Amino acid sequence: MVNGYTAHSLAEALEIRAAYSVIPYAGGTDLMVENRPNSTYLFLARVPELCGISEDETYIRIGAAVTYTQALESPLVPPLMKAAVAQIAAPAIRNAGTFGGNLGNGSAKADSVLIEFVTDAKLRIASVRGERLVNVADFYQGRKQLDLAPDELIVEILLPKPTAGERWHYEKVGGRNALAISRVSFAGVYEERDGRIVRLAAGFGAVAATVLRYPDLEAMLVGKTVEEAKSLKPDFLAAYEGRMRLTRGRVSAEYRKAVCLQLLGAFLEEMGI
Amino acid sequence: MTYEELEPVLDLRKASEVFFHYEYGKGNLDTAFAQADKVYEEEFETGYQEQAYLETQGMMAVPEADGRMFVHGSMQCIYYVKGAVMRALGCGPDGVHILQDPTGGGFGGKEAFPSILACQVAVAAHKAQAPVRCVFDRREDLEYTSKRHPSLCTYKVAVKNGRVTAMDIDVKFNGGAYTTLSAVVLQRGLICADGVYNIENLHVVGEALKTNTTPTGAYRGFGAPQTFFAVELMMDHIARDLGVDSLEFKEAHMAKQGDVTSISGRYHFPVPLPAMIDEVDQACNFRRKHREYAKPQTGRYRRGIGMAVYFHGAGFTGAGERDTIKAVCKLHKYPDGTVEILASNGEIGQGVRTTFPKIVARELNLPLEKVYYDQPDTARVPDSGPTVASRSLMIVGELLRRAAIQLRDKWVDGEDQMVEEHYKEPNFMIPFSLEDFHGDAYPTYAWGVHAIEVEVDTCTGRSQVLGATGSFDVGTPIDYNVVMGQMEGGFLQGIGYASMEHMNYDNKGRIRNNSFSDYLIPTTRDVPNLNCILHVEEYPDGPYGAKGAGELPLVGGPGAYVEALEQALGGVKLHHAPFTNEDTMNVILKEGL
Repeated sequence: MVNGYTAHSLAEALEIRAAYSVIPYAGGTDLMVENRPNSTYLFLARVPELCGISEDETYIRIGAAVTYTQALESPLVPPLMKAAVAQIAAPAIRNAGTFGGNLGNGSAKADSVLIEFVTDAKLRIASVRGERLVNVADFYQGRKQLDLAPDELIVEILLPKPTAGERWHYEKVGGRNALAISRVSFAGVYEERDGRIVRLAAGFGAVAATVLRYPDLEAMLVGKTVEEAKSLKPDFLAAYEGRMRLTRGRVSAEYRKAVCLQLLGAFLEEMGI
Repeated sequence: MTYEELEPVLDLRKASEVFFHYEYGKGNLDTAFAQADKVYEEEFETGYQEQAYLETQGMMAVPEADGRMFVHGSMQCIYYVKGAVMRALGCGPDGVHILQDPTGGGFGGKEAFPSILACQVAVAAHKAQAPVRCVFDRREDLEYTSKRHPSLCTYKVAVKNGRVTAMDIDVKFNGGAYTTLSAVVLQRGLICADGVYNIENLHVVGEALKTNTTPTGAYRGFGAPQTFFAVELMMDHIARDLGVDSLEFKEAHMAKQGDVTSISGRYHFPVPLPAMIDEVDQACNFRRKHREYAKPQTGRYRRGIGMAVYFHGAGFTGAGERDTIKAVCKLHKYPDGTVEILASNGEIGQGVRTTFPKIVARELNLPLEKVYYDQPDTARVPDSGPTVASRSLMIVGELLRRAAIQLRDKWVDGEDQMVEEHYKEPNFMIPFSLEDFHGDAYPTYAWGVHAIEVEVDTCTGRSQVLGATGSFDVGTPIDYNVVMGQMEGGFLQGIGYASMEHMNYDNKGRIRNNSFSDYLIPTTRDVPNLNCILHVEEYPDGPYGAKGAGELPLVGGPGAYVEALEQALGGVKLHHAPFTNEDTMNVILKEGL
């Protein structure tokens, strides 16, 4: 027997969330498997405010209960996010799994979250007390530790719109080609203007407690010419090698690190560095 | 009660307690090694493999009003379960009956283990005098039920004038904590130790060793995949060292009809391997790609192609059919003209509920719907033997064909009639002796040729199978779709065994990856281009020429896959399976690829 509440508006959902100890439930692809005993769920799939994809001047806004399939079918969702989402699990899971769930699960293996990290996405969080915007990097405080109060819900993801000159690179390494949890994932975003690098982001998923990104190391190449970046490349890779502290999981930490560094190198090479 | 905690033995290399030991040989090993131009010695290892049947182990016992115990569940061998439950309950053959429920896959994993579970629920039901059921969840099933034996094989090979003249082979199988089926698994593995090759001077010694780990047991291929992996790679490595093409080197050593087998039996029937190799070559350009990929490669993605050439001895190993199983089957004709097949072989996805009726209907000139085969119950069917060893169709199917001829001859409309057939060993066989490890362990062989082409990503260690092509000789396919399903499924299972199906235990010997998110088996996306070809070499003592089919297609997977990886990785020599992405990455880093 499953106990739960079905909300039909965000206001109703937030009231239930504030009044009871409930687990927010969108697609249920993880929660159904976990089947925690004596749980009370808050079913969110019928909350219209969580189910849309829209855009404004700055952001593509993806509702927390939007499924991966809906995102793949939307003309608004940027190609980098689609590249990552297209490789999640298999069609049945993509039809049910949601962006909010991928965040709320708190795993560094969440494939859509890696993209949110490298694009500097923000999250809109709401409760009966009000609303706030939080950077995705700040939302993750540690393994399974989120900046989310017991009365709060993730409402939507604000993905900055891709710029005209932006280039990207995404790779997922799983144990097989479908129905596989990432063992290492990499996403990079790059932009160059008048021969100078104006933006560089490199994120690594599934290799530590949270998605890894090192803005201070990225800064080594930002503002440099491509030629300067080429000569800095060995130092840049060595800095990552020195900094990255990876955990072991289904594969060893050494393997993960080797793959991370190779993919970082392959990303730079593709960008002409 | 006081317990003394002992240090567990987990590692096969450190195991010393021998469950089973066999040894055999032929020719003159010492002379061959003394006269050799070169001697090669290499070690090969293979890991666990989980059957990963869709339905977990499950069994139910129901005490009946007449005092009998009724046990039914997911299983391959109703009479094995019956024998076990009789011993556990201390009752006679009439005190218990066993029914196979529709079973969601077995692959060998439901050959022995259901007997244990059946005894447990039967004893509990006897005590409680109430129905008792036990169904494993996936984690329990993965941790505690038997898997394929991990192996460690050492090959010492003498070569003279470019030919292999002798092999001295040491085979070790990790049996886990209990004996289970290790004796026969080891026998089959040892018989296959020199592959499809005619090796004049041969010495093979093998042991199944005890470790304090999950007991291993039957799994599609039954000991053969381990030794075929070792011998195929050994032949590849020698060929490369001699500077000759590995396929040509293998072809020069392949056995032919009339040749003596490893254990001094005979290949009584044609060996169709040369034609099958040509079929595979034509289908996937093996020879051209094999030459091309041997050249130095650069860039992020590198390719390789490998081939394995192998057989599967059709039917139960040794003299089991003649001395132990002594299969019996019956046909029951009802007055309305319908015919029921009475046999003990369970449908486990291999199609016996399709193929058995097809055989009987054909001989009786009846439409297929007039012949049926229900889920077998020991209360109703004779013992036609276990559902194992790719034997059901070849052995029991032929008995049913002969029974159908008998019934046709004495058919009287409107009467209730019963006919019975008993197994007879084909008269061409050289009697097998287990003491001497000598004779025909199998009447005939199913043959297989696999080619697997891979592309390795040097950045991540991932390898993508670009194409998998196989030619399979299982004799006459009684049902084309059933056979193709078996060939494709087994081929894929073999590729999983070779690549991603890595299973390990923790420092207490417990299986670590006990879920399907941790123990990965391949999906269709992993081998999108899988091409199976049937080559028909009819076996005169099988029904319409059919031979054993079920196990064959798995056997060659690791040999072909790892040889392909060796090419993609610049000609390194590899020595174990599964060869995971992480293993590949280690080679890439070590070799600086």
